[in-house]
This record gives sequence, C-alpha cells and structure tokens, in this order.
Amino acid sequence: MLTGDLMELAALQQLFYDAIFDKSGTRSEALCQHITTAPNLTAADGIAIYRGSILGKLSSTLQAIYPFCHRLVGDTFFRMTASTYVHLSPSTSPDLGDYGEDFPEFLAMFEPAASLPYLPDMARFEWHWHRIFNGEDTSLLDFQALANIPHEKWGELIFKLPKASVLLESVYPIHRIWQVNQPDYEGDDSVNLDESGVKILLWRQNDEMRLDLPTDSEWQLLKAFQSQQPFGLICEALANNEATLDVSALLTQFVQRGWIADFSF
Amino acid sequence: MTTHFPPSQITGAGLGLRSEHYQDILIHHPPVQWFEVLSDNYLAAAGQPLHYLERIRNNYPITLHGVGMSLGSADPLNLEYLTRLKRLANWMEPAYISDHLAWISINGCYLSDLAPLPYTEAVMEQVAQRIIQVQDFLEQRILLENPSTYVAFKSSTMPEWAFIQGVVDKADCDLLLDVNNIYVSATNHGFDPLNYLNAIPTERVKEIHLAGYEEEENYLFDTHGYQVHPPVWDLYQKALERFGAVPTLIEWDTDIPSFEVLMAEADKADALIKKIANNRSKA
Repeated sequence: MLTGDLMELAALQQLFYDAIFDKSGTRSEALCQHITTAPNLTAADGIAIYRGSILGKLSSTLQAIYPFCHRLVGDTFFRMTASTYVHLSPSTSPDLGDYGEDFPEFLAMFEPAASLPYLPDMARFEWHWHRIFNGEDTSLLDFQALANIPHEKWGELIFKLPKASVLLESVYPIHRIWQVNQPDYEGDDSVNLDESGVKILLWRQNDEMRLDLPTDSEWQLLKAFQSQQPFGLICEALANNEATLDVSALLTQFVQRGWIADFSF
Repeated sequence: MTTHFPPSQITGAGLGLRSEHYQDILIHHPPVQWFEVLSDNYLAAAGQPLHYLERIRNNYPITLHGVGMSLGSADPLNLEYLTRLKRLANWMEPAYISDHLAWISINGCYLSDLAPLPYTEAVMEQVAQRIIQVQDFLEQRILLENPSTYVAFKSSTMPEWAFIQGVVDKADCDLLLDVNNIYVSATNHGFDPLNYLNAIPTERVKEIHLAGYEEEENYLFDTHGYQVHPPVWDLYQKALERFGAVPTLIEWDTDIPSFEVLMAEADKADALIKKIANNRSKA
C-alpha cells in the first residue's frame, strides 16, 4: 500500500477509535463526515452500535475477571465503575485475558468506591486468580534429582515456588469475603472487617486452584524463597532474625505440600 | 507435547466450544461432528482451559477462529500474537484457521470488537498483502470471514462482495462465509443478499457460519445470541445449492443455551447439508 494511502487508512481508523471512546461527541461528529447514511441507520446510529458493542465487551470482560467485586458492589455500581475505567485504560493486547490488570489500582483511587476499603485488595486477589487459572502449569518437583544433590551443595540451591502462584497479603480478611461469597457456602456469612488481615499463598495444583494460609513462619520462608536467593543465604538471614525457624523442617513440609515446585543452582 | 489426535477434516454441522459445556462434552461425548474453538481464549502457553481443549481434541476435530489478526488494520501485524497462534495450531492440528475482514487495533490500542473498513482498491491491496504475510507465517491458507456491518464509508468504491472477491484472488486465501452476516448487512444497508452470495467464488468457501441476530427498532444486530431466524435458513439453503455440502457452524456466543438446544440447531443444518449432498450425488 502506498504510504499516503496507508496514512489515510491509519487516520480514519484512529478517528474511529477516538469516536468510540470520546464522551464529548466531537470525534463522532468528525467520523460521521466519512460515513454514508443507510436506509434505516444514520451515521451516528451506526457509530453508536459499535460503541455499545466495544465498550460492552470491555465491561463484560472486567465482570468475568472480577466476579466477586461485581457481586460485592452490585451490577449498577460495577457497570458505572467499569465504564469509567474503560475510558481511562485502553486495551493494548488482542487477548482480552490481558485486560484489566490495573483495575485494582484504579479502584484504590476511585472516590465512589472509597467506602469499600477492602475492594482493591479483593480485586487484586481476583486478578491473580484469573492469571494463575489461565497461566503456566507447574511441573512436579523432581524428588530423585533433589535426593541426588550432595548435602554440602544444598546451600547453593535456589528453591522455587510454583510458577502459577502468588503471595498476597491484605489488612482485610479478604479470604473470608471470598469464602462467604462462594455459591455453595453454608454457614455464618458475616465478615468482621476489623479482624486481623491475611497472608495468602494462591496457586494452582494441576487443575485445582489452592488458597493456602501460611503461618507467620511459613510466610517468612516463602517470601525468602520468592526472592530466588540461594538456600544457604536464606538460612543465614533467617538465623539472624529474632524468631527461630526450623528451616529444614519447613522446607520438608513445603515440598510435601507442593509449595516447592522446582530447584536450580 | 505428543499428540495423537483424530483427523483434522470437518464435515457436516459443528458447534462452538464453550467453557460452560466442557464437562458435558467430556462426560457424555455428544455426537457433535466438530467444534469451533475461539483461538484467542487459548493463546496462553498452558493453563486449565488448554487442558480441557486437549482432552476434547482427543475426540473431535476442531477449527481455530479468532479476531486478533486485525487483518484490516494500518498497524503492522502483531507477530507475538501470530507466534502464539501458530504454536496453538501446531499443537491442536485444526482443520482451518480463520479470522475476519475487519480490524481491531490501531497504534497499538485494541478495540475488543471488529471494526469496519472502507472498500477501496488500496485497502484491498493492504488486506491481501497482510493475509499473504499471515499465511506465509502460519504455513497454511486461512479462511477469511465476511463481517456484519453497521456503517459504510463514503470513500468506498465497490460493494463488499466485490472487495472480498478481490482480496481472495490477490491473497489466494479461502472463505468462511457467514450467511447470517450477509443477511444482517443486506438488511442494514439495503442490498439484495443474493447479489452477495452469487458473487462469491464457489471453490473458495470452505466453511459456513449460521447465527441468530436480534431485531432492533431500525436495524438487525448480529449478537449470536439467538436461534437462526427463518430468512437466514432460507438464504443458507441457497448458499448450499451454490457452494455444496460445506461444513457449517452454529455460532452462539451470548446467552448460551443448553447443549440440547444447540444440537437441535446443528441437526437442522446437518439435515440440509445431507440433502444437498444427496441431490448432488444423484445429479
């Protein structure tokens, strides 16, 4: 295509894109000048159809990725929130599964949601759930290979958490909020937002999503492993802490639970 | 990844693979002849959806249908997207890979739904060149699907059917003919759908889509959320008479009904396909 023709096409497509997201209407009016009026559809009608479809699809993508947030705030509020977000945050990937990563950060700054201080953390949880569910599988730890490592070499090992995993913490009991909103939940559905926060290891074991609640000691060691430092350095650093951790015993438990999925030098 | 999948060829009526039906399909092995897979939902390297897809592929042939190629865009092709698509195709061995005569991206920003093109010689050349590049990259022909449209551009110098004919000739690609889209666009823009049908080269049509539109006050909206309407069934029969016993997908993307409802639509299409095949074999 000649450069001039390509530039002309690019300009028209950019105008179309701008008209979809433009709230003032000026870009729509400009785009209308390029469109033929059909028997039953004006140019403005036609643009509105595309606008509704495109914005609707982005909004429904957010609803699919953040179903608990949607349930917590209700459909009307969620649609209003999503509408504000889609105008601020363009999609930069052909994969709609990539859309909405900064929705939690947006919620943290979104004044109408200020009365729900736990909402951004809940959204963060949901984003990671979505990515882990659709993300890379975790291989099984090669126990034989690990057993073959001479003990004097263990200090050089770097232990790895599952690829499909994340360590999340919140000052709010978001695990309880998630639990009581499960479709099959039966029991006391009250949640005390003032109760202690939570530390979560969210991960996937084969096809099963796992929400584990490490103890403080386990959390400390998990964070250390997440840093990808050699095992020897981790043991030294933890030995200098006030709390004494039985690192070897914890490591054995981590391996048995599947919390350690791989290792390397 | 080792694969021992059944043959890739598709015949008869197929259904779109939807996550709502994974368990039903794996447990009951319904007599669906093939599934259309929305490729853009499976482009990650791994993950639970891919596990389901692989297990389903063990029992059914599939096609890969996406929107992410953005064939009509002025942007360069997204090579990362094409790389992921090629990896998926090499793994799943689809009968066909298809995408749309449309664009979804400009200057790196994506629209999430298909947008319309002006139909000029220059744009025809642009689209054809991009399809050639895609086919070279994927090492196979793709199917180009005709869109449903709600605007037409003043700069267009030809109708859509002539544009598609030109693209197909230049790119040497094949066609996924969406009969519902022809009917929707014909109603919205005021042209005879048979003019469209009769302009399409017969040897290029490898697959047909059927879907249900919604009737709004002053236009038809291609929602893929309803049963196929009678006028579309009529147009479909004419399409079969022209193009032969082409594999046909019942496309239902929103307000997805029970599997029984989908199978009933597929059975209806299948009966028409068999009838045309019988008529042709007797002729």
